[in-house]
Amino acid sequence: MKPATLAELRDAVRDTDGPLVVRGAGTAAGWAGTPLPGATEIETTGLDRLLAYNPDDMTVAVEAGMPLTRLQAELAPHGQRIALDAARTPAGATVGGLVATADSGPLRHSHGGPRDLVIGVTVVLADGTVARSGGHVIKNVAGYDLGKLFCGSFGTLGVIAEVVLRVHPLPPATRTVALPCDAVEAVDAAGRLLAARLEPVALEWCDGSLLARYEGGPSSVERRAAVTPGTPLDGAAEAKAWQRVGDVSEEQTVVRCGTRPDQLPYVAKHATRVASSVAVGVHTVAVAGDAEVERLRAEFEHVTLCRRPPGSDLPAWGRPHTAVPLMRAVKQRFDPAGRLGAGRFAPWF
Amino acid sequence: MALTDLRDKLVADLGRDGVIDDPAHLRTYECDALTGYRVVPALVVLPRDAGEVATAVRACAEHGVPFVARGAGTGLSGGALPTADGVVISLQRLRRIIEVDPVNRRAVVQPGVTNLDISKAAAAYGLYYAPDPSSQQVCTIGGNVAENSGGAHCLKYGFTANHVLAVDVVLPDGTPTRLGGDAPHQAGFDLLGAFVGSEGTLGVVTAVVVRLLHTPATVRTLAADFDSTETAGAAVTAVIAAGIVPAAIEMMDNLAIQAVNEAVDAGFDPDTAAVLIIELDGPADEVEERFAEVTAVCTAATRVTIARDAEQRARFWRGRKAAFAAVGRLSPNYFVQDGVVPRTRLGEALARIAAMADEAGLRVANVFHAGDGNLHPLVLYSEAAGEHERAEALSSAIAELCVELGGSLSGEHGIGTDKACSMPRMFSTDDLETMKRLRAAFDPAGLCNPGKIFPTPRLCGERPGPYRPHPLESAGVIERL
Ligand SMILES: Cc1cc2nc3c(=O)[nH]c(=O)nc-3n(C[C@H](O)[C@H](O)[C@H](O)COP(=O)(O)OP(=O)(O)OC[C@H]3O[C@@H](n4cnc5c(N)ncnc54)[C@H](O)[C@@H]3O)c2cc1C
Repeated sequence: MKPATLAELRDAVRDTDGPLVVRGAGTAAGWAGTPLPGATEIETTGLDRLLAYNPDDMTVAVEAGMPLTRLQAELAPHGQRIALDAARTPAGATVGGLVATADSGPLRHSHGGPRDLVIGVTVVLADGTVARSGGHVIKNVAGYDLGKLFCGSFGTLGVIAEVVLRVHPLPPATRTVALPCDAVEAVDAAGRLLAARLEPVALEWCDGSLLARYEGGPSSVERRAAVTPGTPLDGAAEAKAWQRVGDVSEEQTVVRCGTRPDQLPYVAKHATRVASSVAVGVHTVAVAGDAEVERLRAEFEHVTLCRRPPGSDLPAWGRPHTAVPLMRAVKQRFDPAGRLGAGRFAPWF
Repeated sequence: MALTDLRDKLVADLGRDGVIDDPAHLRTYECDALTGYRVVPALVVLPRDAGEVATAVRACAEHGVPFVARGAGTGLSGGALPTADGVVISLQRLRRIIEVDPVNRRAVVQPGVTNLDISKAAAAYGLYYAPDPSSQQVCTIGGNVAENSGGAHCLKYGFTANHVLAVDVVLPDGTPTRLGGDAPHQAGFDLLGAFVGSEGTLGVVTAVVVRLLHTPATVRTLAADFDSTETAGAAVTAVIAAGIVPAAIEMMDNLAIQAVNEAVDAGFDPDTAAVLIIELDGPADEVEERFAEVTAVCTAATRVTIARDAEQRARFWRGRKAAFAAVGRLSPNYFVQDGVVPRTRLGEALARIAAMADEAGLRVANVFHAGDGNLHPLVLYSEAAGEHERAEALSSAIAELCVELGGSLSGEHGIGTDKACSMPRMFSTDDLETMKRLRAAFDPAGLCNPGKIFPTPRLCGERPGPYRPHPLESAGVIERL
């Protein structure tokens, strides 16, 4: 089913019997657990309108099926953007899909992820309830923040129908410096760059290079790049370096994991390739096979499976972290019949 | 009976000096900084560590007795207001900084540690904790987590929610758990994000892992005078529209300036209609470039004073941060309101507030986070002159005006007891019922800080005010169903 309005979506959820699975553009279909067969698919790509945009307020409201690239194209003429650069964006990822998977890219270093950018949501629960939280202003503490709760929910708590986001100005200039180094050196070098208070917007270690990206006024980014160890990259080389960071997500077996920043060397030891936001400790990790996934899970609690080869029977989630019982309780309250996204969080629930 | 049993159990487990039950002493816990609401609790417990917090919560759960966590009691929405038959769990003895980790730029602290003490402990490494509520010398990090507190510099740096990596909490049934992790990536729902800002209704925080930032290389600050709050508001919009993200943009109107000038030597022009404090921070070159743009944008200002050194900057901020207290000099009593409007509607909001104040025959001073559209109107009145009810009505009407203009009932002080009855102005029954599902998942028995956030017939009368559509709904842009 492909509803085109919030009302159609609500009706589709309410009037269809049995299990449902939500799908955006399908760019993260392989993330987390495989949905059990037999569920009716609800595709959100028919919900793709821009609902409200007032550039001076720096907020924008969209339907969840709007591809992020299209939203960025709407904002760019006003000198604005959503500060979210998940690797799957060019493949057509929808705003709702990015929220549901809590996906992010190198800009997480300075802007966080969807949880830090979403200021309001409208969701449709499994029983057809339509609920909003947050609103259209950036600063807002009225009521519980369901927008954050739905980050990383993989379509199991409800269907995200509308999203309100904060926008940021597009930088006048950017510059990237590449410093060849290993994982141990990357942790130290990143620490030194931060201590030098140069405020890079992204600090990513990938394929043996630490990439530091600066954004801001033209002369300021040049001067900051000039005092950064490594080689400043020209336009083409810069684009290619960041392309490689995104490519890590395309490898055969990929996980996203969160660790203390100084644990990068351990992560790297078990990886074939890593794109690591080294200063925050969020890594996109390509590994040789299931055994390495298990090893990372044995060491770290927060590991999300993003890609695995066809036919792999690796469970999607490892040993449950301490909040998993609470996740089950929340799931029980939001979707007591277990209609939505069954299998996504197997074997946890 | 339950209470007597519970007291005995708590005394046995926490020791005599861990439990307060004498009426005189209990009274010191009867309210937070919203002093209009007062309820003396049945018991207060003073646990010494996370284990004792869990013991206390479990005992309350087993006895079916409601409880509320309390930090420093500086909350402005009655969030820590006790119930008469309930227990206050004070976190004042949990004030240890467990670890400062300069390599990973984070600190692990107990919930009773004050906001400012985190930055003091981190200072040795050139690090600090960014969210800076004006109450930071006294308010606790546990209270900050509960309220998702903000501060002047949240315009650039974000709120508490953006700076907390993990919390250890005791769930309302006494189970300890951890939300969040070592990095901003969680396997599964963002329960940490849902917890921060839940106003003490989902559990008791026993430890917090916060991110630390390096102090910025350069700070530049100016104070710009304007001949009206409207032109000051327009300047705020112009700065933001120029693609500049200042660390802070604060506004004070003439009444607030008068109060501040009497209280501290901040040096603001007593005759100006409004002053903006604009601060930029970051790498030196970047700040200089952008600061020039800001001064260029402030052409409508009647006077621009650039802080020549750290001392003058500190004076501006002393003035700004003293504003709430200073207003006490103008008026025997006042209410602090906290609402948010879309920034582009600041001028309109201030004009409407002025008109409403005139109509009510009361004065309203404005001191606020202009960059975020976060208003703090201070409604001045006199209890002695019998103005209480009129002032309270005006204050509530201002919060609801914010919703009508497309904003929010609260930007940082929380809903608590104070604005629970206004929630139906902002959210539909389905919205609120959905939020209650989250509450029920954490606290099925409803014992953890009951009576907050959500309107109840007891608090609000049988019929809380009706839901009114969001302006975008009225315009047909969004639909509710
Ligand atoms: C002069 C003044 C200026 C202020 N300025 C600002 C400002 O600039 N920005 C801002 O955001 N706020 C401001 N505030 C409001 C207040 O300081 C904040 O809300 C602060 O976070 C409250 O902290 P507290 O320790 O005093 O919490 P309390 O008032 O004790 O409690 C507040 C809430 O937190 C809960 N709570 C406390 N500790 C815990 C815990 N360990 N676990 C679970 N729940 C807990 C309580 O149950 C209650 O619901 C100001 C207040 C004053 C009086």
